[in-house]
Amino acid sequence: MAPIGHFTVLYFASASSYTLKDSEFLPTPLPLSKLFDHLDQRYKGMKAKVLESCLVTLNLEYVDVPESATDGQDLIIKEGDEVAIIPPVSSG
Amino acid sequence: MESANASAEGLRKQISETEESLRKLKAQLHQFEFQEKSDSAKTVSLDEHKWPLSAEEYKRYGRQMIVPSVGIQGQLRLKAAKVLIIGAGGLGCPAAAYIAGAGVGTLGIVDGDVVETSNLHRQILHGTEKIRWKKVDSMIASLKSLNPNPAYVAHAEHISPQNSESIVKQYDLVLDCTDNPASRYLISDICILLQKTLISASALRTDGQLIVLNLPPLPAGAEGGPCYRCVFPKPPPADTVVSCGDGGIIGPVVGVMGVMQAVEAIKIITSGKIDSSAEVAGSGENTKQEPTLMLLFSANSSQPFRSVKLRSRRAGCFACSKDSQLSLESLTSGSVDYVLFCGFTSPTKILQPEERIEASQYSKVRSKQHILLDVRDKVQFDICHLDGSINVPFSNFQGGKEDVVDGSSWIPDSLPNDASVYVVCRLGNDSQVVTRKLKEAGLDARGKRYIGDVKGGFKAWKEQVDQSWPEY
Repeated sequence: MAPIGHFTVLYFASASSYTLKDSEFLPTPLPLSKLFDHLDQRYKGMKAKVLESCLVTLNLEYVDVPESATDGQDLIIKEGDEVAIIPPVSSG
Repeated sequence: MESANASAEGLRKQISETEESLRKLKAQLHQFEFQEKSDSAKTVSLDEHKWPLSAEEYKRYGRQMIVPSVGIQGQLRLKAAKVLIIGAGGLGCPAAAYIAGAGVGTLGIVDGDVVETSNLHRQILHGTEKIRWKKVDSMIASLKSLNPNPAYVAHAEHISPQNSESIVKQYDLVLDCTDNPASRYLISDICILLQKTLISASALRTDGQLIVLNLPPLPAGAEGGPCYRCVFPKPPPADTVVSCGDGGIIGPVVGVMGVMQAVEAIKIITSGKIDSSAEVAGSGENTKQEPTLMLLFSANSSQPFRSVKLRSRRAGCFACSKDSQLSLESLTSGSVDYVLFCGFTSPTKILQPEERIEASQYSKVRSKQHILLDVRDKVQFDICHLDGSINVPFSNFQGGKEDVVDGSSWIPDSLPNDASVYVVCRLGNDSQVVTRKLKEAGLDARGKRYIGDVKGGFKAWKEQVDQSWPEY
């Protein structure tokens, strides 16, 4: 469970190799449109190398990450939410 | 050496000739047995009309037929189904074993590769004695021994825009068991165009993913389940794509994913979801659209299985929306360029020739004071490394941490600032990237210190210096 004022972010596959973590807690509230930039600041280059081709879920449901916050449809990540960063795995 | 090669070649030829004649003998025997069967069947022709399956089939499939969700109807649907497995590797082997075992009518296998030693820990239908066999032949030989009833079709080639239509159209259901982004987009596209449901799985290291796409199988523009492009519209940058050969793979992790593909295939077939739409309309079983899930498997996680809910088709999807720009003509003619779309990595060529040293040359300067910086992952370093080398994995340089890039966290203080630094990795790609970063961070002390990489990495070291170096 995330501590008060935080949400959980789960890193799968290459997102996990890039951050060297499976998960961590980040402070809330965070608009979904800021998520990629926020993570890119923590992990230099992650946006272009990993995030832009990822599937993102919020509380186990698919969400579209808006390019910018201007379209007024921006979701806010709230305390206790669980965000998953799911890059495509293509090998087998 | 040459004469040894020649006699090995002779032996190989003899083996393949013997195998060929064995195959012919088996086919003859099969013919006789079949004759016998149909002769004896004539005497009990009454029974044959009475029962839709043979006595052997009731016995063989009885344990699954008495499961309520299968039943005799499900078994007959399996027998009527034609399933295509693309990729005869770590996913394809377990998937094929269970689907063949369940009594599917026709099973096609697509793969252009041959069996190698490094495949065997996970590709369970290939045995040690089948090294250098075509994977499709090796797989079908194992499957026939498991269950001789299905018709097996070998497609001994890689799936391509040119052959995909003619292969896929012969089947009712497709399993993507391939290993690269370009083939995943291609297979998804052809399944939309030919209206086939696609069961897609993948695995790397300790992680796996599974999605059932285009269920029910509908043409572009219809309200249906998503395609691969809906889920992953943008392919990952080519230089970040890791293969099982580079990243590693645990056998049972990819095995679990292949087994899950078989589970989904059996569920879809036995529930009648791939039957022709006329029948579907009549049965009313398939009118309800269930949400598409992606199953994530992370073997090392405290919660190893997770399902996430996906959306239905993406508005504006290139392949499956009403605005689709995809057609059979554009796909097969090559005007949709999958390799270009997914990008490709040409061999890394960052450094100038004078910034690189041959492995043989490096072996001669090892007695001088220097540092050998090994940038492979720690697990690879632990398998084998050269005495005195320092391990700082490539991933540590990616984050751009200053004390890693400028060397202060790993260069011994005692090292004179004109002592050389040689960078080495497995194949000689990462070592170039790191060499460049170190020079940019000023570690070469304005040219006082030589920094260069070992050209071709430990592969070259094995070829040029030490034949005993383990190849893993």
